[in-house]
Amino acid sequence: MNINTTFWFFDRIKEDNLCLLYNGDFSDEITNKLIELSEYNINNIDTLSKMKKKASFLMAECFQNIVRHGESLEGKRYAASDEGFFLTKNWHDIYYITSGNLIENSKIADLERQLEKVNSLDRDELKALYREVLENEEISDKGGAGLGLIEMARKSGQKLEYVFKDFDEHFSFFYNQIILKSNIEEGTENHDYNFEIDSAIDYHQKMVSEDIMVIHKGDFSQDAIFPVLKIIEENLQREKKDALSKKKIYHILVELLQNISHHCLIEENKKEGIFMIGETEEYFVINTGNLISNEKVNDLKEHLDYINGLNKKEIKDFYLSKLRERNVPNNGGSGIGLIDIARRLISPINYSIQKIDDKKSFLSFNVIA
Amino acid sequence: MLSKLEIKGTRDTPEIIFDKENNQFEITGDSLPEDTTKFFTPIFEWVSDYLKLPNKSTHLICKLEYFNSSSAKMFYELFFEFQKIAKAGSEIKISWYFEHGDKLIEEKGLEYQSILEIPFELKEL
Repeated sequence: MNINTTFWFFDRIKEDNLCLLYNGDFSDEITNKLIELSEYNINNIDTLSKMKKKASFLMAECFQNIVRHGESLEGKRYAASDEGFFLTKNWHDIYYITSGNLIENSKIADLERQLEKVNSLDRDELKALYREVLENEEISDKGGAGLGLIEMARKSGQKLEYVFKDFDEHFSFFYNQIILKSNIEEGTENHDYNFEIDSAIDYHQKMVSEDIMVIHKGDFSQDAIFPVLKIIEENLQREKKDALSKKKIYHILVELLQNISHHCLIEENKKEGIFMIGETEEYFVINTGNLISNEKVNDLKEHLDYINGLNKKEIKDFYLSKLRERNVPNNGGSGIGLIDIARRLISPINYSIQKIDDKKSFLSFNVIA
Repeated sequence: MLSKLEIKGTRDTPEIIFDKENNQFEITGDSLPEDTTKFFTPIFEWVSDYLKLPNKSTHLICKLEYFNSSSAKMFYELFFEFQKIAKAGSEIKISWYFEHGDKLIEEKGLEYQSILEIPFELKEL
């Protein structure tokens, strides 16, 4: 992942109110945080807040599918990228939940049959099938369907979208997308949406090939970023890298995210930005991006170029002099965040500023620590 | 007597216990509020009252697990205020705890130690 990755994603999801992409391990701890974050996001969108319960239920169902049906490749050839993929996004009054997990090729036919069965039924028929399966657990082997799939179809009121994508001779990725719309009655068929499951697959493949763990585009106020930080903290615990570099990366992340919250261009009362975290063999990589007012560009460039021109000793002295300065800016930031970040990086702060129009520019950071 | 300042810790703000009567001064936990000024203002107000008539000997204990750069600045401001106690002739000491291996918190302590002019000891937990 390099500095251009940020805009690649930002440009594709800029119309979304929020978009969360996750590629990694699915423990209970992490799935709970993902649900918490999505609930927070849903709550903040007026037209969606009444669907919160339903969306949470459907997400939990997706996660269970990933965990229950997902195949672990541990001990096999691919030890690393065997977990799962999850996406939630909101565009206008539509909420998308997409998940992806590996499945053994030998199990595809049965799953596909279940999906086709569920998609062929109307609302009443689904309800009847649900009862039937509840009363007779073995029915799913005899041409029924898993309760999870039936519930997903019932709650969303839409056909389940799915794709099987080749992985290798033994496994495929099973992608599944649920769409929630606030303005239509349950059971109404309506395919008037703009986001295709294929785009989600593109995003996932880009994340896998560039080792990206989390991407979040949306509101960057503290309540919104806290669950994200917790997900990452949780993921960092699992990494083999040493405790120091985990704390360091957490610190850099906090500083960069709070920087967005303090300095981004506020549009429609929202502090919007995008960030992504990934890794290389030895290091973590963090990218952030946000819109800033063109008026701020010169000062920021000057500040960054100055910091980037200092050696480690000079940066430390500059940090200490800023620490002792008695004038704290009143926007909640202290003006020393970037200096403190620069001290912990193996290379200068990599940044780019792209002009969008007369008023705003897109600022991105790419840091390796 | 100046009443006790007690602020419960949250997920992004530390627990504060400043108790003149029992001579207890402690800061514990995480500090990464979005608006640091807002969080620290009542603390500075309390300290400014305390400085009018401090105890003979004040011992501030800091057990921080994580804090962001704007909190780092606020802590410096706070220590700077406490430093005035020494100038006024009373005793002030700060103890800075860090977990074994936590270089980030240890380094921050060393920095404060280097720029303050009062006893500032680092203690490994």
